[in-house]
Amino acid sequence: MTNYLEKSVKEINELLKNKKIKPIDLVNEAFERIENNSELNAYITLNKEEAVKKAIELEDKEVDNILFGLPIAVKDNIVTKGLRTTAASHILENFTPIYDATVVEKINKNNMIIIGKTNMDEFAMGSSSRTSYFGAPRNPWNKTKISGGSSGGSAVTIAANDVLFALGTDTGGSIRQPASYCGIVGMKPTYGRVSRYGMIAFASSLDQIGPMTKNVYNNALLLNVIAGHDDKDLTSSRKEVEDYTSLIGQDIKGKKIAIPNYFVSDIVSKEIKEKLENVIELLKEKGAIVDYVDMKYLENAVTLYQIIAMGEASSNLARFDGIRYGTSYEDPNGIYDLYVKTRSNGFGKEVKRRIMVGSYLLSGENAKIYYNKALAIRDDISKEFKKVFEKYDYIIGPTTTTTAYDLTDPMDDPSKSFMDDVLSIPVNMAGLPGLNLPIGTSEDNMPIGMQIIGDKFTEASIYQLAAFLEKEIDFCGGVKYE
Amino acid sequence: MKKVLTKEEVLHVADLARIEVSDSEVEKYQEELGKLLSDVEQINMVENYDDERLIAPWTEETKLREDSEGTMLNPKEVIENAPRRAGNYIAVPVVISENESEGA
Repeated sequence: MTNYLEKSVKEINELLKNKKIKPIDLVNEAFERIENNSELNAYITLNKEEAVKKAIELEDKEVDNILFGLPIAVKDNIVTKGLRTTAASHILENFTPIYDATVVEKINKNNMIIIGKTNMDEFAMGSSSRTSYFGAPRNPWNKTKISGGSSGGSAVTIAANDVLFALGTDTGGSIRQPASYCGIVGMKPTYGRVSRYGMIAFASSLDQIGPMTKNVYNNALLLNVIAGHDDKDLTSSRKEVEDYTSLIGQDIKGKKIAIPNYFVSDIVSKEIKEKLENVIELLKEKGAIVDYVDMKYLENAVTLYQIIAMGEASSNLARFDGIRYGTSYEDPNGIYDLYVKTRSNGFGKEVKRRIMVGSYLLSGENAKIYYNKALAIRDDISKEFKKVFEKYDYIIGPTTTTTAYDLTDPMDDPSKSFMDDVLSIPVNMAGLPGLNLPIGTSEDNMPIGMQIIGDKFTEASIYQLAAFLEKEIDFCGGVKYE
Repeated sequence: MKKVLTKEEVLHVADLARIEVSDSEVEKYQEELGKLLSDVEQINMVENYDDERLIAPWTEETKLREDSEGTMLNPKEVIENAPRRAGNYIAVPVVISENESEGA
């Protein structure tokens, strides 16, 4: 097997430009790697035929950008024209979209090559990817452990070195948490930075698409491509897209960093806290100012998330009715029967539970008691973050409270998957950007990650700190960022 | 605060969600939904908030898009994605039965 995909993006780009290699070499290598790692179950659908076709087409084209010809994996809740998109659900098992998501149009326009659709929790509902109709992906660090979720397959395929780029989606931590469990870099951009058009909606006021990569530099390159306003998503921002690599390499001396006390409280395991303390020492040594701060409402974030996410999900998933697309119950006795039988057969346990709770929370007077109240307190959380960002450049903390747990751990506690995201959820509540950076490994050799949170639209500055730490911290023998 | 749903409440939310719950599943859902609803009850512990606010996750001014010609989905492809079709239409099972239409 060749090893082009272990080189830096700049090196690969040079090789392509100088005609030393062709895009097809990268595509063939990616599929060979995926094949060798097939037991990781990172993919639901491979796009082999089309990827090869596209690679050959690109041979006649000029190498016009740094991501030209590079294979990319796309989470299976992002629609791809002509390529099966299931959201890991039985109800969409045979669904082939008739249009591309805006992010997919953008990666196609940059002549990246979609290699396949990655495994995930059904409709992104879960934190271990074990709710997938297609079986759970496995963590490449230890195949008996979960990948995290919901963007588990994307995290796995990056960690396993199958491809250099993947897209994930993050509603309560679904990019950052699997990135942390698999030891990769994952960014949830500011709400509105990336168009959600063509993402199969889970909780529309929280969902955001983002890049998942092995290193910080590649992550910023992919955000450069997918960010920007889109007429098809009215919540997408008109704010100008920056070059997100522009601050990478700059010093962080004098930067002010806050750590909420809640993020280092007893809910976090001892070894994760120790690794974070090492980072804090390093930051101080390099001239950053680090303070511990109190923030109100952080401990309420999971409750708010449960109300908002399940409420919005129950409304969003009402569209799966067996009429317009997707699987449909064969022999219904009238239309109500069609809805009920299609949905009962098509959705998995976790999804059904969440839709039912969401329906309860939004029904009649309950909407006022729960949903409206949750929105009001959500606003308070945003204000708490705003206050901190008046004085500080960054908020940091661990991404998760533990490292990846066993695939066989019980799934009978319906609250567990929410609690796994206790540290990542506040970021979605406030619509902020947040990034997972690997900072070390545990005693049982599983990755540990830290979260870097910035004020809205400060992704470039988050990459600056992340790249600085990436260079200083010896994770996995060190990573080069260019 | 532990929240307990009655069997009737479980069947009611299942109906709202258009999901079938069999007799043998009711108890399991009573427990599981009850657990999640006990979690969300914690919201009533939060004090000092003002619930008269209208909030949206998005603070930028929304603008209408330009009124210009664009591409739209191909109707043929849209219809072809439907599980049941009748010519250029999406077919659905009977919505109002004969009895109901007679006002029975």
